Order: sequence, then structure tokens, then C-alpha cells
Amino acid sequence: MASPAPKSPEQSEKNRKYDRQLRLWGDHGQASLEGAHVCLINATGLGTEILKSLVLPGIGAFTIVDGKKITDEDIGANFFLDSESISKSRAQVATQMLLELNPDVRGDYVDEGPEQILSNSPDFFNNFAVVVATALPEKAIILLSKKLWELDIPLIICRSLGFVAHIRVQVREHTVIETHPDNENPDLRLDKPFESLKKHMDSINLEEMDLKDHSHLPYSIILYKYLDKWVTEHGDLPKNYKEKQELRESIRSGIRIDEHGIPIDEENFEEAMRAVNTCVSRTTVPSGVMEVLNDDRCINLTAKSSSFWIIAKAIRDFMENEGLGLLPLKGAVPDMTADTEKYIALQQIYHKQAVADAEAVWRRTLQLLRQLGRSSDSISEKDVKLFCRYAGDIHVERGSCIADEYDSKTTNANEIAQSLENPESMMVYYVVLRGVEKFQAEYNSYPGEFDDHVEPDIVKLKSCISKLLGEWGCGPLAKDDYVHEFCRYGGSELHSVSAFLGGLAAQETIKFITNQYKPIHNTFIYDAVTSNSATFAF
Amino acid sequence: MAASISGVFSESLQNAILQCKVLIVGAGGIGCEILKNLVMTGFNDIEIIDLDTIDVSNLNRQFLFHKQHVGKSKAAVAKETALTFNPDVKIVHYHDSITSSDYGLSFFKKFTLVMNALDNRAARNHVNRMCLAADVPLIESGTAGYEGQVELIKKGLSQCYECTPKAAQKTFPGCTIRNTPSEPIHCIVWAKHLFNQLFGEDDPDQDVSPDTADPEAAGKQRVLFQKWDFNVFGVFNEILFFLPDTAAEGALQNESNDKGNVDRVSTRGWAENCDYDAEKLFTKLFHDDIKYLLSMDNLWKKRRPPTPLDWSYLPDGVAGCSKDTMESGLKDQQQWSIAKCGSVFKEAVANLSKALKTCQETSPGDHLVWDKDDQNAMDFVAACANIRAHIFGIPQKTRFDIKSMAGNIIPAIATTNAIIAGVVVLHAFRILEHNLKACRSVYLRLKMNHRNQLLVPEKFVNPPNPKCYVCAPTPQAVLAADTTKMTIKELDETVLKARLNMIAPDVMIDGKGIVVISSEEGETEGNNEKTLEQVGIRDGTVLKVDDFHQNYSLTVTVLQREQPSVKDESPDFLIVADDEDLKPKEDITISEKPSTSNGKVEKVEDDDDIDIVETEISPSTSEADVPKKRKTESPTNNTINKKRKVETNNQHDDDVCIIEDDREVEKVALSVLPAIEEKILTPRKYKSLPDDDCSIVYDGNEDQSTASSPKRSKQLAK
Repeated sequence: MASPAPKSPEQSEKNRKYDRQLRLWGDHGQASLEGAHVCLINATGLGTEILKSLVLPGIGAFTIVDGKKITDEDIGANFFLDSESISKSRAQVATQMLLELNPDVRGDYVDEGPEQILSNSPDFFNNFAVVVATALPEKAIILLSKKLWELDIPLIICRSLGFVAHIRVQVREHTVIETHPDNENPDLRLDKPFESLKKHMDSINLEEMDLKDHSHLPYSIILYKYLDKWVTEHGDLPKNYKEKQELRESIRSGIRIDEHGIPIDEENFEEAMRAVNTCVSRTTVPSGVMEVLNDDRCINLTAKSSSFWIIAKAIRDFMENEGLGLLPLKGAVPDMTADTEKYIALQQIYHKQAVADAEAVWRRTLQLLRQLGRSSDSISEKDVKLFCRYAGDIHVERGSCIADEYDSKTTNANEIAQSLENPESMMVYYVVLRGVEKFQAEYNSYPGEFDDHVEPDIVKLKSCISKLLGEWGCGPLAKDDYVHEFCRYGGSELHSVSAFLGGLAAQETIKFITNQYKPIHNTFIYDAVTSNSATFAF
Repeated sequence: MAASISGVFSESLQNAILQCKVLIVGAGGIGCEILKNLVMTGFNDIEIIDLDTIDVSNLNRQFLFHKQHVGKSKAAVAKETALTFNPDVKIVHYHDSITSSDYGLSFFKKFTLVMNALDNRAARNHVNRMCLAADVPLIESGTAGYEGQVELIKKGLSQCYECTPKAAQKTFPGCTIRNTPSEPIHCIVWAKHLFNQLFGEDDPDQDVSPDTADPEAAGKQRVLFQKWDFNVFGVFNEILFFLPDTAAEGALQNESNDKGNVDRVSTRGWAENCDYDAEKLFTKLFHDDIKYLLSMDNLWKKRRPPTPLDWSYLPDGVAGCSKDTMESGLKDQQQWSIAKCGSVFKEAVANLSKALKTCQETSPGDHLVWDKDDQNAMDFVAACANIRAHIFGIPQKTRFDIKSMAGNIIPAIATTNAIIAGVVVLHAFRILEHNLKACRSVYLRLKMNHRNQLLVPEKFVNPPNPKCYVCAPTPQAVLAADTTKMTIKELDETVLKARLNMIAPDVMIDGKGIVVISSEEGETEGNNEKTLEQVGIRDGTVLKVDDFHQNYSLTVTVLQREQPSVKDESPDFLIVADDEDLKPKEDITISEKPSTSNGKVEKVEDDDDIDIVETEISPSTSEADVPKKRKTESPTNNTINKKRKVETNNQHDDDVCIIEDDREVEKVALSVLPAIEEKILTPRKYKSLPDDDCSIVYDGNEDQSTASSPKRSKQLAK
């Protein structure tokens, strides 16, 4: 060989370490993770579990905010603390322990409570990618949620109380390009072929082919031919099962027969018939995507618009012009039985068109950036390509501010009342948890925290809950069981419940950071006694 | 310890936690988390076993291990790290395989409960049987990517791990691998076999040279090589290696002469003789052997013939990858040109032969072990697989993807393991409170289902399958095979050990008292090459099979079944728990034919009335309340389930982990359709879902199983 032996592509230690997760969120997901700085408020057992699941996969940096000193109870709930650490700063010790888990991660701490920070240094939270908080009192929740809502930074509030786990996600607006949909139909455009595709299709004559070529033709070409014939005869695509069945039969009739009159086994025709369901439909823009493209944030860009909206607008412009009402072509061709030459020829046609479409969107993006007075390198061509590839599945998540739940004027009282009518609904946990928060705010302890107070605390907790229900215009709870349960927990944290919730909360954090997958919308409750869980939207 | 728990746990639970003795099988992703959770809950008598050592790729989730621990025993380091934080707990560790005879019934009986944190089916089957035999509750768990599940296995109360048939490990017929590959995976399997032929352990079943016995190749040969026709795997006693200068003529001149013109030399020997010269190897493998294949012209009547490659003129362009060509990525994720493959091949061969030499200097006869995380070994397989794919007009894959497929990599992350391990220990509480009925199986989904559930519990504990061939009171199975062709050795290795996961079976013909297979060495070796018929096993013969180590007895009724004529896709035998299961549609066997496909993907059934084939944890938006996994399906759900037919197969390349029969590798497949055999096994009347290429998904600890390869020898020098 003429060329000098090149180095085989070196896999860095880091890539090897992260290999198993790169297969889930890709190198761009990993890059986002490594560029992110998260904030954890309160290094409780739960808080530490959450950060552990972020430090291991290689989050860029974390900051722990916690003004507390380590107690016996912390040691009982937190794997990384030993008895020697009692009365040391919880933030400091947790930071040290977590940093040992992964040398690639940076971490620091502030040993002050969140409320103190909010009043002393109001800009403190400005630069975090996500803020996660555990064991936060009502007042701090309200202040923090307002602040982060204003800053447009995702906030995740978690609570692990006895056998119950609760997570509430707050995000003002979160845009997702890679939603990883379950079913992705191929974007073949058989009903609306672009020019080069039509030319290619028209250059092929099924009847004149020899058997070898005939049985090695990619199925999408077969499908196109018979669909074309169908549309000529019927004036429209097959619309229902019966018509699709007829189309299948017409494809079947195209299978060649041997000298004995027996149909030859042509795998590609079989594939074409199978693909009728998924590939024969009108190519349109999905309504969810249309909604995003028609969003005010898309139509009226500002100098502060995010790349997502700028590219979305570029795609919108593309659709209205050279795209002829359609999204940019995905460009991927599914695997099919064919010979290499025919398959690659087809693949090239789709690929070229997809590249051309993405380039057109890229040009429009640059144009928009110019109009907005933004530098042309603020969006990369790679980003635009990625967006074009997944344009059919983009998602915009809009949430609500947690503080609104604490104001009877804005809380979703109807939803609560309605859910409570169903005795099976897990809404009751939400109500009791809110009652516990109220209890904490009033008595500065968890209900049942002190052994000799359990009975009186039950009464007090009930009255807290009644007050809340009254504010929301709801009737009393059907059963007291849950009130008793929560008083029995006495505010203690079960490690296994925290481990469970820690994993879940870290996963939500990663969704926000990588902009992949849709986040929980927006409240999740888990009862470890029954294994039941529920999701509510506030 | 865990002071605050006193108020939450009942006194009896607290006592049970203090007094019980538990076993964790596997110290990988889930195992580390379980160990931590147990320690934090106050369990203080814990034993943990794992055969494996720590790899760099474990560090993204197995938090008890750090960089300095790479290469050390997982079980030992897990214990050590856990004790640094909590010195008062009693932890015993074993760096060993759970299937070893050291861990018999009395070992399992010591424990109040056992928690599996395994990564392979063989070990899961084994622990399942041991726990059933010892009547100890077992918590089975697994994760794959964002998904996971936890379930209880308790004799008489719940389904056992083997109550629903699992898809047989996917194997490929020898002639597909050696002569007529049509999918990337065929080339990858071939490349791994080639690695072993050149650098690894000799395995006659992994021949890589052209297979003249291919029944499709010529009528005459078919007669001559009758035995091979029956089963290409497992009958070679010597290694065929066709020397370049004589091979082609051999086939051209005299098809029926297998000795005259074909020299037999071991692959290794040949490579050593030419001093692992990359060019010579390349020319032999990718030019001469291909020319030889071309001479078997019957093979290419309906196929695209392969194109031999010339070392001096390797094409430099990149084309024809089936993946989205727009995707940009890491270096690892870029498509190599064939020229690039050639240079990677050259370098990898140089490094590997050097490594082989070094290791043989210290202990002669030693060899390398293929490891997906070894750079040279992986480079070698990626390059060879792509070169071969190019020759046969099969789409090439990136090194990244090949690694997934060759190494059966299952994506694994810290978060999912944390969630699942939390649920495992919560199940443990219920068991200790004797509330076993509350241990419903729990599935963690990638996305919310239609009822907005991310975590989906079953409605009840799934009852045992009364016809299970493992946990039924008197386990029964039917073996349908051609008694005139199957040998005793095949019965032992392919059926009893590989398929039924026995460790050391004894087989006796019922009523006659004749022992045909004995687990004692030297007693029945003489039977090995005899056919079943020759030792008196015919249609209707009842065999008593015992595995004393597993405390497992099975009655097997033999049914004579002609070897089907279609060579490629039909299994050599079928084994089912109920002979009724064999009847419904035998004709289905012929469903996939060898084709000259290009990047063909596993076929998805087009028919609406097939049984559901789906991955254990359905990534689809399921219509059913509960993903009924390894569950006996009630008829009412059939209509609903139809909608859940898998269409996901072609989507997640990454999740695909097919695979071949390879001891080293675990055999799960997340999105691979069950083998055809499985469809036969799934009768209409007993609605068990043949979903399970992975009925339990696997945790991150996938690299080496706790029980996988007892004869691992030297790792490649890192």
C-alpha cells in the first residue's frame, strides 16, 4: 500500500469510559453534558444521589448550596458520609466525596442556605444550566421558582419522604430537537417526488428489466411505480384499508412467474407490499410541528431568540419557498433488498436532496442571523443539519411556575378537586405533601419528627391540610390514612426511595441539558409501598 | 446506622433486616447500587459474587469503582469501597462464577433472599433453578439504556425466569457466514471467527474458509457431505484451510474430491508460516478465498457474486453505508474507506501478532482473547468485517456500530441502574415482611405510556406457568429432532447445555435404565459420535435428564422430526414444554430465504395475526395498561396487543445486539426478532409472549458475565 500506515482511530480513555452512554445520547449529547454546570441545593441523601448520577456520566461542573452541618441523620441517609464527618459543613464534605467519583468533573460549594443567597447575591443562579433542589421549605420554593422562572433556567424540586417520592419540574420554555420518537416512518416522498427522484423513477421500466434486475430493485421504486399507476387510475392515494389492500394486490400481480406459471420468489416485491402501510400516505407537515412553526416566537424573531427558533424560522421560510410546503428531506433510506448499485443510486438521490435542503435552510439561517444583527457563527451548519434531520419530531415544552401553585388565585384547584373525586387518584399524596410543607413552615419541624409528638402532630397536619383544601374549594379528604402515614415517617428519608428518585431526577436533568427526550410534564409522585406512580400537570 | 428508619419500618421488618442473610449475584451496574442500598438500610450480612474484573467502560455508572481499580475483581473492590464508608457491615465476596459447583444447593439455602444483578441469560437461568431448588425468593432485575425491570421469582407463587420460552440464541448457519453473507452481522461474526483462528482459541466451529460442503453449491457434494448438510456447525474435527494456489482448482476440477486437491493446514499454522504478513493474509482472505467461492457457481445464480479485492488497489471512496449519511460524529462513528480498512487491518495484524508472540513466550500454547474494548482486537474485526461487506456488496458499518454488534453492547447509564436498584431493595422489604404478593413486577419505561406512567407495575404477581419445563412439579419437555442424524454429543452440547442451560447433565433412557450421557468424565464418551437412533432413542422414547448440580430433573420425550430441507433458517431441533405446541404451524419454518439482500433488516412480519414480538420493555406507546411481559396472556388482551407489534426493529441500531453463539458474549437482543423457532413455540392457546430476546433486560455489567466464560484465559495486553 502506498499510503503510510495511519494511526487507527484512537479511542480516548474518556470515550472508553463513556462508551455505554454515548450509545444513548451521542457525542453531541455528551458534549452538552460536559459543558453544563448544575446547582444542587441541599446535599441530603437524595441530593447526593442525584449528583452522583450526574457526576458519573461526566457533567461539566456542579455547585452545592447548603448551609447545614452534618448530623447523625445525614449519615444514616447518605452513603458517602461517615461518623467522622459529623458537624462538618454538609456542602463541603459532599463536594469532596462526589469529586472523587469522577476526575473529569469540577465542583465547588457555598455553605449558605438558598434564601440567604437569593437575598445577598441575586445573580448567583444566573449561569446554571439546571438547578436541582431537595428538602426545600415552602418559602424557599416560592422565591427560587420565581427567580429561576424569570431567568428561564429549569428547576427540579425533589422530595423523598418515608415511602413517598415527589418530583416537580419547572421550565418556562424548553425546546427539543431530538425527541427520539417511537416510530419514525421513512421520509420517501413517493406521493410528492422531488425533481431528481421523479427523474430517477421515470428512468426505470419494470417491464423491460431482466429477472435479475427485477428482483433486485429497491422496494420503494416498486411502490412508486404502482402508486403512480394507482393515482393515475383513481385520481388520489389509496385512503383506506380496502384500497391499500387493492394496491398490495396490484403489486403482487407484478411478481414475475416462472415457466410453470408459478410466481418467483421476489423478496423486494414482498417488501413493497409490506411497506404499503408505512410508506403510502400523504407527505405533510405534522400538526405538532406546524404549531411550533406558527408560534409567535418563531414568526417574530428578536435579537435574543435562541438558535432553535431561528432555525425553526429558517425552516418555515424554506417551506414557504423552495420547500414547496414540505419540511426539509430527512435523507435516510431504510434498508431494503436490492443490489448494491441500485440501492446506492437511490440512496445518493435522497442524500443529495437532503443536503441541498439543509443547505437552503442553512442559507436562510445565515440570512436571518444577519437581519437580527447576530454573528454568523452563532449557529453552526451542523446544528442546522441536525434540526433538518429531526424537523418532523421537534417539541416545545412550556411549563408553569411552581410559585403559582402556592397562590390560591393561580393554583390549578379544579384539577386537584377533580382528581380527588377519584379515590384511587394519587393526587391525595400531593395534597398531604403540601400539608407537610405547610406544617413545616408553621411549626419548624416535620410532622412526627419527635416521637412523643406523633398524635398531636396528626391533628395539626390535618388542620394544615383542611386549610389548603379550603383555599382550593375542595371538600375534606376521604381517608386519614395518608395523614397518619406521613406522621409516622417523621420526615425521615429512606435510602432506597432516595436512590430511586435520585436516578429519576438526574435523568430529568440530563434531558434538559442534552435537549433530548421530552421531560416529565410536570409532577411525578411515587409510592414505594404499592409501587404505584402518577404524573400530574400543574 | 440508619437511625431514622425506626419510625418508618415496623419492628418486625427492622428485625428481619438485621437478621437476614442476602446474596447479590453480580457486582456491576445494578449490583453496586444494590449493595449501597442494602448497607444504607441496615442489612449487615451480605454476600456478593462476581466473576468479572473492572473495565474502564464500567466507570460511568459503577460508582464503587474508580480508575485505579481497573483490572481488579469487581466483587472484591465493591466490598472494599462499601466498607470504607460503612465499616460495621459484614460483607463476604467471591471472585468467581455463580455456576461453579462450589455454589450448590447448600450455599443457596443459607440465604433469606437472593438478588440477581446479572447480565446474561445463562447465569440467570442457573440462579433461577438454584433458587427454585433451594426455595429461596429471588429478585430478578435488569436494565438496558433507559429501560429496566424488577420481578420476584418464588417457587409456586410466581413465574420463574424460564416460564416463558426465550428466543433461542441467534446463530447463523455456517455456510451463510463462510460462503454467502448477506447482512453486516454475517461479516462481523466471520471477522470475530477469523480473529480466533489467527490469534485466539482454536474452535473448529468457527472456520472462516469457503465451505465446500454447502449443499447449495453442488448436487454431488451434497451427497458426499451428507453429514455436513445436516449441521454445518459442530461437525468439523479438523480445520480446513484452502491454500491459495490449489484451492480454486480444487473446486473447479473435481467437485467431489475433498482430499485430493485441497490441502489441509490449520489457519494458525499457515499464518505463522508467513509470519503474519498482512499483505499475504489479506490476499488469501479477501482475494484467493473469494475467487474460490466464485468457482462454486451454483451459489451465485441468484445472488450478486462477490468481488475479490486486490491489496494494491483498494478503493478510497466511502459509499453505501445504510445509516443516515448526514449524521456527523466522532471519529469512531465515521465510515472507513476500504483503503482505510486495509491500513487498519495491517496495523492491527502487526500489533496482534506481536501480542500473541509475547504471550506465548511466557506460556507456550497460550492465545489472545477477543475483547471489544481492546483497540487492536476491535480494529481488526471492524476492518475485516467492512472489507468482507464490501466484497459482498453489503452495507458497511462504522467501528462504533460494529463494536455494538460484535460486543453485544447494551447501552448503560447510572440513572437507570439507580432507579432499578432502588426498586429491588424495596421489593426486598416486602419479601422480609412476608408480603410476597405485593412484589408485582415493575417496568421502567423510556417514555410515559398513554396513562402517563413512567414506572409501570403489573396488576398482580404473575402466576407460574403450569407447563414450565423448569418450575412445574414434574418438569416435562418434548424434543423434536431427527434421531437418525442428531448425535449424542449434539444432544449434550447443543440441546441440554446450550439450549436448556444445564451444567452437567446425566441422561438415561426411561424404562431401559441405559445411561447415554453421564456427567462423570470417561463414562459415556464412546457414545459421542453415535446418533440418537444408534443408542436406541427413537420417536416416543422418554429420557430422564438430571442435573445434580442444579438439582434439576427433566423428563424429555423424543419426537422424530425430519430435518427440514431448507438449510438456512430452520433450527436443527425444537424443544417445547408441551407437544401441542409443535402442531399448529410447522410450515412456518420456511419463512426467510437466503437472499442477495443489501442491508436487509430482520424481517418484520406483515401479517396482522402474528403473535406479538416485542422487546421486553416496549419502547412504543403501548395501548395496554401494563406491558404484559413474561406473562401468560389472557385472551382479552389479544386485540390490544396486536397494535404493539414491533416496528422498532430498524430504528435503534445501537440497541441491536444480536447474536451468534459465542460463550464470551451474552445473548440478548433488544430489538431483534425472536428466532423463527420461537414462533412455532408460541401456540395460540397458551398465550405466552415470545417477546423475549430479553425478557429480563440486562444491566450495564454486560462485559463479562458473572458466569459466562469459565475458561477465560489471558486478556490482551492493554
